Amino acid sequence: MIGYLIAAPFLGLLYMGIHRKVIARIQGRPGPPIWQEILHTLKFSFKETWIPRSASKILYIGIVFIAIAIWVGALYLVLLGGSLLMLFGIYMLQKLVEHGTGLSPGSPYSKFGGIRSVISASSELPLFAVIAGIYFFTGSLMISDIIQYQADNGPLLFSLLPAAIAMYIITLSKMHYGPFSIIEAKEIVSGYRTEHFGAWRAGLEISDGIRTVVLLMTFVLLFWGAMSPVMLFIAMLIILLSMSFVCAVSPMLSPYDSVTVQLIVIVILVAWMAILGLIA
Amino acid sequence: MFELASSSIGGQALFVLPFGDIVAYFSPFTAALFLFALIFTLVCIYSRPEKSMDIVFGTDALYAKEVTGKDLHFRRFMAIACGIATMGAVTSGDVFNFTLFVSMVGVCIIGITASVKNSQVQNTAFNYGIVAMLATIPLFGAAAITLAATGTLSIWELSAMAPAMPWIARALILVGVMGEGMAPFYVAKAELTRAPGAPYVLMIHVSSLLMFLRVVEIILTV
Repeated sequence: MIGYLIAAPFLGLLYMGIHRKVIARIQGRPGPPIWQEILHTLKFSFKETWIPRSASKILYIGIVFIAIAIWVGALYLVLLGGSLLMLFGIYMLQKLVEHGTGLSPGSPYSKFGGIRSVISASSELPLFAVIAGIYFFTGSLMISDIIQYQADNGPLLFSLLPAAIAMYIITLSKMHYGPFSIIEAKEIVSGYRTEHFGAWRAGLEISDGIRTVVLLMTFVLLFWGAMSPVMLFIAMLIILLSMSFVCAVSPMLSPYDSVTVQLIVIVILVAWMAILGLIA
Repeated sequence: MFELASSSIGGQALFVLPFGDIVAYFSPFTAALFLFALIFTLVCIYSRPEKSMDIVFGTDALYAKEVTGKDLHFRRFMAIACGIATMGAVTSGDVFNFTLFVSMVGVCIIGITASVKNSQVQNTAFNYGIVAMLATIPLFGAAAITLAATGTLSIWELSAMAPAMPWIARALILVGVMGEGMAPFYVAKAELTRAPGAPYVLMIHVSSLLMFLRVVEIILTV
């Protein structure tokens, strides 16, 4: 388990680097090397670190540790096959982290990022449609039971396609440089992370790395089932590449358009799931 | 470990404290929610609010908004009360107690924001207050229907005879929680969070999310 914990940030940061590289190549740019995010994190770790005078100090520092703690918890939850409800709870708690990170320094830029995070919280609602769909199909919300169900009955990707699409959109909304990445748009500098620099920023980058691994691994395990570590790595990479393609070819939406598009798509998917449930 | 009838949702109960048929319990899921509410309540107690920077309209000047004096004390008190109510809501083993704690959270959220001396924030706090008050009707209605239909309000008992809670009661309790604190359902709530005082404003978000996570667990369990 300790091995996974050490490997996850590096793997996640590598995935984030690949994500940037693929987006750049599709857009006709050379892009940074794929290990750029790892270098970023190392660089931030050794830069001078202080706390802005206007910040709410305990919250400013504490939120970085909370960010790392919740995603480490999420990683363990996935590896141990724990409750999906708790895992999706952590997905939602990430909104709190973004909000807290944005509000704590007192900067208007980070505050806008935090407020956009609150506005886009509605995009998390499909998680519960996914939960309901999976629960009614498998009769359990324990990830280990869901994996076992797929070993016996085949991947949920085919039998519960609307839930898989909803989950894909949610995962996409949490990736960097995507159409729904309104909380870190360039017009508000780095969004909610603008005022976190030095070691604090390195902490947030590490939590982002672990988050990327958890998001991709959860998608694969929930909708395809268990596989060997190498195959899992490849499957996660394939999902990531598909998301990089979407991010590369779609512009970032305005905040309200982002929420509206997500909600419309999700309402359609929930209706589809309801019809599937009625037929079944 | 104690056997919770629907342990496939939030895990096996870790601790049980029965009061007649009302059973207070911690599952890994509710324990995690409780811990999270506790952490943010401690942050509210010990953290000073940030000095929110604002641009003076029409100029390049910046000024720092400060939360001080009576305003600070009142908002901190309401935020701590909100945190305690949230802890109650996520650990309660009784449908009525849950609805009671949820409505207390709604009242505390109004308190956190209504004292901010900013007309926009006060206006949205007023709008939110109306919705929160209206939301108590479906909330307590759900508890009443559950009691009438099953003879008990204990989540432990209800989980043993699941599906026991009528679908209309499940729908009403969900609507009630959405009305009391669910951030995405009003953009007004995002306006509320523009108020200065990060630790207190964050408590609004914490309580909303944790209540929603708990109500989903309750709906699936009973």
